[in-house]
Amino acid sequence: MAETVTTGHASQTTAVAWEPRIIGFLCYWCSYTGADSAGTARMKYPPNMDIIKVMCSGRIDPELITTAFANGADAVVVLGCHIGDCHYISGNHKTMVRMPLMRRILEDLGIEPERFRHEWVSAAEGEKFSKLVAEVTEQVRELGPLDWPRLMRERGVGHGADLKAWGE
Amino acid sequence: MSQDAPKTQSSGNGGGDEPRIGVFVCHCGGNISDVVDVKRVAEEIGRLPGVVIATTHMFACSDPGQAMIEQKIKELDLNRVIVAACSPSLHELTFRRTLNRAGLNQYLYEHTNIREQDSWVVTDKELATQKAIRLVRAAVARLPHLVPLRKRVIPIHPSVLVIGGGVAGLTAAAYLANRGIAVTLIESSPFLGGRVPHLAGLFPTGKQGRDLLRPVMDAAVNNPKVTVYTNAEMVQSTGFIGDFRTTVRIQPRGVAPTVGDIQAAIDACPEQTDDEYNFGLTKRKAIYRPPEGSYPAYPAIDWKSCTKCGKCVEAVGGKGINLAEEPREIEIRSGVILIGVGLDLYQPRLGEYGFGRFPEVITLAQLNRILDPNGPTGGKLLIHGRQIRSIGFMHCVGSMQRKGIHTPGPDGKINDYCSRVCCTACLHAETELKQRYPDLQVYDFHEDIRTYGRWHEDYYTRAAEQGVAFVRFNPLRPPRVERDPQEEKPLLVTTIDRLTFNEELEVPLDALVLATGLVARDMSRLIDLFRCSVGPDRFLLEVHPKLRPVELAAFGLFLTGSVQGPMDTVESTAAAAAASAKAAAMISQGSIELDPFVARVTEELCSGCKICLNVCPYDAIARDDAKKVAVVNEAVCTGCGTCVAACPCNAITQLGFTDAQVKSEILALLGRTPADAVA
Repeated sequence: MAETVTTGHASQTTAVAWEPRIIGFLCYWCSYTGADSAGTARMKYPPNMDIIKVMCSGRIDPELITTAFANGADAVVVLGCHIGDCHYISGNHKTMVRMPLMRRILEDLGIEPERFRHEWVSAAEGEKFSKLVAEVTEQVRELGPLDWPRLMRERGVGHGADLKAWGE
Repeated sequence: MSQDAPKTQSSGNGGGDEPRIGVFVCHCGGNISDVVDVKRVAEEIGRLPGVVIATTHMFACSDPGQAMIEQKIKELDLNRVIVAACSPSLHELTFRRTLNRAGLNQYLYEHTNIREQDSWVVTDKELATQKAIRLVRAAVARLPHLVPLRKRVIPIHPSVLVIGGGVAGLTAAAYLANRGIAVTLIESSPFLGGRVPHLAGLFPTGKQGRDLLRPVMDAAVNNPKVTVYTNAEMVQSTGFIGDFRTTVRIQPRGVAPTVGDIQAAIDACPEQTDDEYNFGLTKRKAIYRPPEGSYPAYPAIDWKSCTKCGKCVEAVGGKGINLAEEPREIEIRSGVILIGVGLDLYQPRLGEYGFGRFPEVITLAQLNRILDPNGPTGGKLLIHGRQIRSIGFMHCVGSMQRKGIHTPGPDGKINDYCSRVCCTACLHAETELKQRYPDLQVYDFHEDIRTYGRWHEDYYTRAAEQGVAFVRFNPLRPPRVERDPQEEKPLLVTTIDRLTFNEELEVPLDALVLATGLVARDMSRLIDLFRCSVGPDRFLLEVHPKLRPVELAAFGLFLTGSVQGPMDTVESTAAAAAASAKAAAMISQGSIELDPFVARVTEELCSGCKICLNVCPYDAIARDDAKKVAVVNEAVCTGCGTCVAACPCNAITQLGFTDAQVKSEILALLGRTPADAVA
C-alpha cells in the first residue's frame, strides 16, 4: 500500500502518498501476450506498471521513454520478443542496439540504472513477466520518486532551469 | 500534439472534430467486477471532457452487450468508442465489427485490457480499481488523436507460383489448378517427384511411393492450368502480395523427348557418379534415365558431371542431344507464392555408429531402396552382395542430439529436435523384413519410440509380436559400433539396455541400419529473398502454429510441406491442401484487405537521409530520387513501426500508433494533461 515519503528538494519538503509509477512499453506479439498469459494464470504482481502496447519493440522511440520520465514516471520498462522470435524478423534487433545507448543517456542524466529495464519476454513467459514487474516495483520503491525537474535543474539540461519540482 | 495525425485516410463515417466518446466497462460476469469496482470506473471516466456516456455491462461481448453499444452509438451520435474488458487479442475485432455495424469507422475504437492485466493479477480491490481508471483514462486521452482509417485493398493477380515439385508442391498445384487457378511449378532437379518415389512401401498404407504419387503427378501435370519448369531455379523475386515477379533460371535438359537410341548414348558416356535415386548404392552416367515414377519420363543430362565430351551425341548420330544449349531466364508473374522446397536427410558423420568405416552400416533410406522389388538388389536383402541373417536398427541418428554428447554441425548447432517420421519408418521396415524373412534376427536400438500418428502404434505392436528385439539405450551413453573381435559377424554393437536395468549387451550383427533424421535444406537465398522467419531447428517458421499455420509473416507467401519441419507424406499433403486452400481463397476474392497500421511519410519533413531504408525488415521503403524523400510501399509494409523510431526528422509516423497517440497515453497514465506536460 501507499507509503508516505518526502519528495522535492530539501527546502521544499512536501508529504504525499507515493506509489511508484512505472510505464511499460510492450510489443504486442510476444511481451504483451506474455503479460496476458500471466493474467490467464492468475499470477499476482503489483499494479504499479501500466502497459502501453506497440506492435513491435522496434517502434519504441527513445523520445517516448524520455517523455515518460519527464512527465512523472519513476521507471520505464521496455519488453520485446527474444532475438530470433521477432514477428517482424528483425525489429527487435534495433531495440537491442538502441536500448543500451538509451541507458547511457539516462545515466548521464543522473537516472539510476534500476529505473530503466530492457528485457526480452516471450508470449509464454508470464512468470518471468510478473516477477520482473514485482522486482522493478520493489527496486523503485526503495529508490523513491524520480525528481526529473531537480535532475534537469542540477544539470542545466533543456528547460530544466525553468522547471519546478512536482508538488511545488 | 496532433501535428502528426494523418489527414488522408478519412472515409467519411465518423471521426468528426468534436469527440463524442462512449465508454463501456465490462463486468465479464465477475471476472473483472469481483476485483475492479466497475461502477466507480464508469463514474470517474464519465466526468472526463468529451465522454458522453460511461456505463457498464455484464458481458459486453454478448449479443445484448453489442446491441447496447450499437444502439448507444446511434442514439447519442457517438464518434469514438472504448470498451474496457479482456485482452484485445480476444475481442478487439468483435467490437470493431460492432462499430462497423453501427456505421462508425472501426478504427475509432480503443480496447482497454482491465482483465488479464488488472483484475486477474491485482489482489487489492482499491489498487485494481485505480489501475483500471488510469488505463481507461489513457484510452480516453488517445481517442481524439484517432482518425478513421481504411483497410488497405491490394488487387491479386490470379496466379500462383509453386516452388518445389515434390509431393507437397504437386498436391498444391493440382488442387489450385482444379480450382481454375493458373499455376507455375518450378523444380530445381530435372525430374518432378521429390522424395516420395524413392520410398518402397510407405506407412500407413504400405503402398509404393511411386504408385502413391502417380495420381497426384497426373492431376498436376495433365491439367492445362499448370505450367511445369524442371531444372529451374529461382534467382530473384521482387514485388509483393498480388504481384510478385520471380526470375527463374532454367538449365537446358540436353536431351529431347524425340531422342533415338538413348541406351547407346548412355553406354557411350564415360562419366560415372553416385546415383542419388539409390542413395549411392549404385552408379549412374552423366546422361541418365529418369527414376521410375518421375516426370518428365525422358532422360536428362547432369551438367555437374558432364564434361561435354560429345560421345553421347555421336552415339545418337547428332539427333536429339544438344550439349551447346545455354541456360535461359524467364520472369514469372504471380499473385501469391507457395514455398515447398522440402528438406534433406541427415548425412551421418564419418564414423558415426561406424558409418563410412564399415560398409555394413547403411542408412534407412538405402535399406528402403534395397527393399524395393525394382531396386538395385531386386528386392532381395543383400548388402554389398552379402546375405543378411541379423540386422539392427539405430534410432535418432542426427535427431534428439545433446550438447556435449554430439558434435555440432558447421553452423555450431546440434539437431536437438525429433525428426518424427523415423520411428514409424523403422518399425515399418522391421515388420516388412520380418514378414519377408521370418528367421531374420532384428534388433531395434532406441532411446525412445514415438509412434505418434494415427495407426503408427500398430507397427510397434506388430514388430513386437513378430519378435523384434527392442533395446533401449541411454542417450547419454550411446551404443558403440565396432568390428566384431570374434569375427563371428562383421559388426558388434555394445550398449547398455535400460529395459533390463542397465545390463551391458553385446550384439553381433550382419548389418546396421541408421534411421537418419530430417534436416532443413540450405535455403539462405530463399530466406533472404522472402525475408522468412527461421526456427531454431533451421526450418521455416509459420506466423502462428495454430492460427496461421501455413503462412509466412510477409503477405502472400505460404509454406507447403516439410519446408516447415519434419513431416511424413500424410502431413505434407495435408499442409499442401491447407496452403492451396488459403491461396485459392485469397485469389478468388480478387483482392485482399490488410490492416491500415502502415508507416506514412510526411514529405515536407523528410530529408531523404535513407536511414529508414536500412532499418525496414521488409524493404518496404524506397527513396524517390526526384523528390528526395522516402516512399513507403503500403502493400509490403507490415506496420512494425521500426522506421518511425529511427527517423531523425520525425517525418515518418505509424497509423494507429502515431507519436501523438502514444504520448497522450503516456501523459494520461501519469495523470497529466497536455497543458501541464513536459515536452
